[in-house]
Amino acid sequence: MLAIQAGHVSKVYKGSPYPALSDVSLEAESGQVFTLLGRNGAGKTTFVRICATQLMPTSGTIRVLGLDAVKQARQVRDLISVVPQEGRPLRALTPWDHVYNWLRIRGEGKERAKEKTETMLRRLELWDARTRPAMNLSGGMKQKVLVAMAMAVDAQLLFLDEPTIGLDPVSRRQVWSAIKDWKAQGRSILLTTHYMDEAEVLSDHLVIIDRGKVVAQGTVSDLRKVIPHNTRVDIAKDGLDADALSAYGSVTDTGAGMLRVFAFESAVRELSELAIRRNLSFTVSPVTLDDVFVYLVGKMEVNES
Amino acid sequence: MLPARQAMLIAYSTGILWLQRNPMSLVFTAISPFSLLFVLFVVSGGQYVHLAVAGSLVMALVGYGLALGQDISFYKTEYKIQDIFVASPVSPLTYMMGLALSELLFGLPALTVLAVLVVYFGGSLLTIPLLISSILLLWGSMSAMGFFISSHMLHMRNATQVISFVNVILAVLPPVFYSVTTLPDSLRYLSYAVPTTHASIMFQATMGLPVPADWSLGFGFAVQVAYLVGFVALAKTKAIWRET
Ligand SMILES: Nc1ncnc2c1ncn2[C@@H]1O[C@H](COP(=O)(O)OP(=O)(O)OP(=O)(O)O)[C@@H](O)[C@H]1O
Ligand SMILES: [Mg+2]
Repeated sequence: MLAIQAGHVSKVYKGSPYPALSDVSLEAESGQVFTLLGRNGAGKTTFVRICATQLMPTSGTIRVLGLDAVKQARQVRDLISVVPQEGRPLRALTPWDHVYNWLRIRGEGKERAKEKTETMLRRLELWDARTRPAMNLSGGMKQKVLVAMAMAVDAQLLFLDEPTIGLDPVSRRQVWSAIKDWKAQGRSILLTTHYMDEAEVLSDHLVIIDRGKVVAQGTVSDLRKVIPHNTRVDIAKDGLDADALSAYGSVTDTGAGMLRVFAFESAVRELSELAIRRNLSFTVSPVTLDDVFVYLVGKMEVNES
Repeated sequence: MLPARQAMLIAYSTGILWLQRNPMSLVFTAISPFSLLFVLFVVSGGQYVHLAVAGSLVMALVGYGLALGQDISFYKTEYKIQDIFVASPVSPLTYMMGLALSELLFGLPALTVLAVLVVYFGGSLLTIPLLISSILLLWGSMSAMGFFISSHMLHMRNATQVISFVNVILAVLPPVFYSVTTLPDSLRYLSYAVPTTHASIMFQATMGLPVPADWSLGFGFAVQVAYLVGFVALAKTKAIWRET
């Protein structure tokens, strides 16, 4: 069964001249992490909220876990759990209050809810802060409370809209590991993130959307192939000019004193010899998801109407 | 799971737990319904106290319904809590009930004092069931109204203005703090269309004040039940839960 099946979904917000989503068709396998990438305002949250029965599509069909997300919203809601973008825990309530009571509201018995709350709070390192009111928690801890609430629930499909925003690198990895465990139980996840390393580590399938349209999708390695070259060479700029390098591949300025050349492996040897001759530092690496993202959606809007 | 249970758990989280952590907030919410009562009592040298008690009780209940609306707007826009509830098995009416119960909890000290005053002035314990049912009726319809209104207001600044406007329409202009009999016929009939008029007359009647000749308990109940049903139906079908 598919976790999500979107057919020609469009969304035009009331009073907005542009569609936030236009004609999006996607299929997310169940038991996988399905990731949406895109610039600010690309339409990720809009898509997530339509799937999570929080927002109506303007047109198109959307099936979640085999159910119609518009006509069978109530059945869908039994099976999903969400971390909304920019959510906040209630000031006076503690992490324990949030997770435990949410589990109870969603129908868990007392004992089971206690167990699950403890497991989840320990797992996200909120255990020591379990009795602290949310207003006395740090920003990242507050965010983790919302993640803990959503992930403690027994749902089949989890919607995570930028779940690791503001988390330190260790906390992010705790969330990643919880996500992997969720998946290991055969359950599905729809994730959005601006962190390419996170997308790379977690995703089974990625979709890049730009201005409401799908521009590319596939596995990480599928997406890497979007860039015609497979290797990236960064060379210190000192005295070099971009034209001199353009014979080897496409050249961009990283803005950090380096020129970046996307090239084929065959050109790497010559490039590195050139750098050594001129005594310039350089690094060679495979093309990353970050590069693909910038390549696909990073064109500056200069003279577009 | 039973919606009633869910509603209790929501009320527990947003009401009881909150109060445990901020007991002082109870003091503030408990005091505010007595401000007008105090002024009227002093100005009228005690004469006006029955009407002032009835009016304060109505105004407090209107206030809880409107506060529910404010809370809901706040939970929705500032905390995104409503987004979490929408994408869950909790129905909008359950969510509303839960938060309305928690509002009632905050109001309990003031309501208790005002209700005790009503019974004291009425001089009969037999009036208690009537009193409690009138309180619950108004609380229910005002909560549903607050929920409905708030779900249609996306911007907080706007919310505050609409809320004070509704407060004037329901608790200040109609005969809530004064007797309906002082109004000319046309205005009296108009005020019968307002649910709070009937609530106030019921409280006044409970305290032994005379009721207008063209009014009856059945009439008062009928209008209030109609508003309750109407607002709940509006809240159920027309309040924005899933956004469009
Ligand atoms: N409630 C709304 N009313 C009107 N327009 C909206 C609304 N919500 C979003 N939009 C518009 O829809 C477009 C897509 O927004 P969306 O929130 O889906 O982007 P996003 O990809 O999640 O961005 P971000 O990475 O910044 O979270 C944007 O142009 C945004 O301005
Ligand atoms: Mg977003």
